Amino acid sequence: MQPETTVELADRVSRKRAIGVAAAGLAYLIVQVVARPFFVGGADIDRRVRIDFWGINAIALLLLLATGGGLINSRKVRALVNDEVSRDHYKSAIIAAHWVAMTIAMALYFIPRFSTITAREAIYAVVTPSIIVATLVFSYLELRAHRDA
Amino acid sequence: MPDRLRNRLREERARRNLTQADLATLVGVSRKTINTVENGVFVPSTELALRLARALKTPVESLFQLAE
Repeated sequence: MQPETTVELADRVSRKRAIGVAAAGLAYLIVQVVARPFFVGGADIDRRVRIDFWGINAIALLLLLATGGGLINSRKVRALVNDEVSRDHYKSAIIAAHWVAMTIAMALYFIPRFSTITAREAIYAVVTPSIIVATLVFSYLELRAHRDA
Repeated sequence: MPDRLRNRLREERARRNLTQADLATLVGVSRKTINTVENGVFVPSTELALRLARALKTPVESLFQLAE
């Protein structure tokens, strides 16, 4: 069996990353629907744990998006995995997330007329959908690029 | 792009009996980049277009053309 070339390895890592990012984004979405860390009452400790877990989860996903993951791979492989096309996909994902964040932020601006929300709740409402959109758009574009390759 | 820029990357690659992976190795990009350029999904940068043309030993303007 022939050894895997750098391009083949990068291809495999890139596919795995796209699937992994999609799975992470969907899992994050499901956790928000099931656990609902904000806007739902409950025992103080339980609520605090859910809120802290949300924060850790959000930071992990933001780091994954920012670094592109795959830090254990060589520089050469990472350069191929994050080449021109992936950087373009990343830009598209961040732009989509930006507009989601802006839309929600503007909606929240008008909410105090009807009810009061805390700063943390507002951050949650802006950050969560933005991260989900960024991960799903990025993974969709990456998987589409791999199709037929 | 895609309707305004045409490319003959797939034809030129096939003419030289290169796989997408071969061309990706020659150019120093991933296979998905070759794939998306061939399919017209992605418009390459000037640098990448020139690198592709050099790897295929063909003028860049014969590889990429503006659609009339």
